[in-house]
Amino acid sequence: MKLIDIYIQEVIRRLPEKMRTDIALELRSTIEDMLPSNYMEEDVKHVLNQLGSPAVLASGYKDQPMHLIGPRYFDVYLSLLKMILPIAAVISLITMIAQNFIGYNGDEAILYVVLSIIGKGIGVIIEVGIQVFFWLTATFAIIERLDKDKEQQPLTASLGKWTADDLKNIAYIPKKKAISKFEVFGSLMWTAIWATFYFYADKLLGVYKGDGERLDFVIPALNQDVLLQYWPIIVIIIGLEIAFAIYKLLKEQWTKRMAIGNTVLQIITTIVFIVILKNPNLMSEAFIEYMTTAFTITKEQFNMWVVGGGISIFIIGAIVNAYDGFKKSKIR
Amino acid sequence: MSKLLDSLTTELRRGTLTLAVLSQLRTPQYGYSLVQLLEKSGISIDQSTLYPLLRRIEKQELVSSSWDTSESRPRKYYVLSEYGLEILSQLEKEWMNISNELNTLLRGDDEDEVN
Repeated sequence: MKLIDIYIQEVIRRLPEKMRTDIALELRSTIEDMLPSNYMEEDVKHVLNQLGSPAVLASGYKDQPMHLIGPRYFDVYLSLLKMILPIAAVISLITMIAQNFIGYNGDEAILYVVLSIIGKGIGVIIEVGIQVFFWLTATFAIIERLDKDKEQQPLTASLGKWTADDLKNIAYIPKKKAISKFEVFGSLMWTAIWATFYFYADKLLGVYKGDGERLDFVIPALNQDVLLQYWPIIVIIIGLEIAFAIYKLLKEQWTKRMAIGNTVLQIITTIVFIVILKNPNLMSEAFIEYMTTAFTITKEQFNMWVVGGGISIFIIGAIVNAYDGFKKSKIR
Repeated sequence: MSKLLDSLTTELRRGTLTLAVLSQLRTPQYGYSLVQLLEKSGISIDQSTLYPLLRRIEKQELVSSSWDTSESRPRKYYVLSEYGLEILSQLEKEWMNISNELNTLLRGDDEDEVN
């Protein structure tokens, strides 16, 4: 008798309140119907085994799925997850790095800062990954339960029934034209690296002296004050580069418009680079003196080499980059 | 191999379950009497499927239910509604069609083998 009570309790506790009394009553009468007149515990067990797991029975009554996300939504769920996860991870990573640099007071060794950022970065990516996974899964689990439409056809990305017209919305992307995620994250990484060097030039760029055991930073190459005069335009360029990387991530292939945008960005960066490099106060006196003695050249010669060389390399790089964009956008 | 056969057989039978249950509800039945009726005609049905199924077709208004408390233990009786009767006759027709079609297909196979 007791087993029967427990069994019924196990079934109805999984059911909505208003269904419970009726189902409990019916279930009890059914179980008693199935038992012989003078039954033993063995008989009860036999009957309950026939009825099967209380969880399965209850889910049958509830008429609700025993899964979080069914075949109807699984495909859309998975594509969204694959799309959102890397974007969220990169954005939060960049935010974290930026915050760290803003809060940096210059007291700690740069290597220590870099190591702690890598550590924090891994932490942030894991945390954001879990958050995105949780909220997306929770949202879809709720949608699955609210959708009373009994249609079992899997949904397409446009949230409708699939027709051949859906194919028109998907761009055919030849391999050579495609922008890989690796390329996008690479360019974001590059932005982060040069921005770091820009804002911390007085701690990173310059002459290092090693005595075999440790590397000491002795002479900074640039005057940080002069360099920082240009910060508003540099921040705008950082913003443009990040926006362009995200645009590439979303478009997935080179287009003519993208190639033009890339060229404009390259021109702006080159002009700013030249303007900064032409500033006569940019390099520190100590550094110029160190270099002129080391290579036995005059101050003017050294200036010419650095400015001339820097500008030519930058312009060549920009032209190659812009040309490459147009070449890729022309591929059919 | 036999496991696969089992699951395929279950799948094959699953669709016919509603029809089998509806066909026995022209007269009022309670849960266990229905099980016995079905088993008598050789149809074994998972009981954890049957009871929820009864609830579902009640919700779909194919059957109506009533509690009978006159006997020693209360029993819930289910019987076809008018709508249920209508649906049942149409499902019967569908079943005849399906079994004719399949018979043709399967017999066609046999003839091929003979030739």
